[in-house]
Amino acid sequence: MEQAFFFYFAFVIAATSVLVVALRNPIYSTLALLVMFFHVAGLYVTLHAEFLAAVQIIVYAGAILVLYLFVVMLLNLKQDVRYHRQWPMAAAVGATLVIEAIILTAMKGSTTPAAATDTETAIGGAGNTEAIGDVLYTTYLFPFEVASLILLVAMIGAIVLAKKDIGEREA
Amino acid sequence: MVPLSAYVAVSAVLFIIGLLGVLIRRNFIIVLMSVEIMLNAANINLVAFSYYLESMAGQLVALFIIAIAAGEAAIGLAIIIVVFRGKISTNVDEMNLLKW
Amino acid sequence: MSGFDLLSEYLTHYFPILFFVVIALFFGIWSLVVSYLVQPKYPEPEKLTTYECGSEPFSDARMPFPVRYYIFAMLFVIFDIEVIFLYPWAVVFTKIELIGLIEMLVFIGLFLVAYVYAWRKGALEWD
Repeated sequence: MEQAFFFYFAFVIAATSVLVVALRNPIYSTLALLVMFFHVAGLYVTLHAEFLAAVQIIVYAGAILVLYLFVVMLLNLKQDVRYHRQWPMAAAVGATLVIEAIILTAMKGSTTPAAATDTETAIGGAGNTEAIGDVLYTTYLFPFEVASLILLVAMIGAIVLAKKDIGEREA
Repeated sequence: MVPLSAYVAVSAVLFIIGLLGVLIRRNFIIVLMSVEIMLNAANINLVAFSYYLESMAGQLVALFIIAIAAGEAAIGLAIIIVVFRGKISTNVDEMNLLKW
Repeated sequence: MSGFDLLSEYLTHYFPILFFVVIALFFGIWSLVVSYLVQPKYPEPEKLTTYECGSEPFSDARMPFPVRYYIFAMLFVIFDIEVIFLYPWAVVFTKIELIGLIEMLVFIGLFLVAYVYAWRKGALEWD
């Protein structure tokens, strides 16, 4: 059953990401991206990362995608003209990476997974959020504060860029 | 039991698709969406290794990546808006003012 | 108990969500199908035109949004991230005590700077 879920999520993720890249109408691409984000959240659930699954849905599907959709509608984009001329280079890069992925998948012997032990399921059952909080506010304290600084800079930068007209009017 | 290599393969395929999207699309917004796909591929990889190595580090880095992705989307889309105001186009080929 | 059994048992906790998704899909499809089957169909060219309060439609329905919407969506995204970091903090608050409170105050303080900046810059005003 678990394998069935994994293959369902993996297949839908691959298919919708191809749609994001291939569809010519940006709104359809955005909606395909939404479906992809939900299925990535599903994949996180199979990996016992419930908190990240919730964050994926709240932040990616709920906030970032709304931002993308707004910009697509803001700019009123129509159909894309055509694809880029870098086809040969893209094909070369893609082929190399596909071969690499096949080799990686074929090498099953060297990556035998550790079976889920009782402690791992205990973490999953007692609270993934608690486990994350435990580590985040002790070991990862500095990256946590740096993340808030980066978001501060991002917000100021976005306001400066997008709000140009209002700043000029006030001055 | 799904092996770790299966998750790594999904992540690799997703990353390749995102990279192809960056290379072959001309629309700046779709290019940014492809970057998000690549970030998601990295996140899947990190979370899979975090689960199989029984360490929380991967999930925390994935959490930080999600936070940074939000900042990246805010700034990237603001740049798109500014460029669109001046040029009425989101085609990446036409943004060549700094090309020498 | 093997790892597989444990994981299967774990995934069964998500059956309510699966059930909910199935019901939601069924409800959407059912409503569309039934309304398609039940509706009276007498199509005329006049009826098939876009309805715009009696007047003739004069432009495309997909008109560009003002940029203001982008500012609000962007502010929402940034503060959404702040809330995301508050959840694990609230769960482990009793364990990390004062030091956790101080670091979260620093974190929120930085966001407060951003908030004050947005306020002073007029990003929160509609006009």
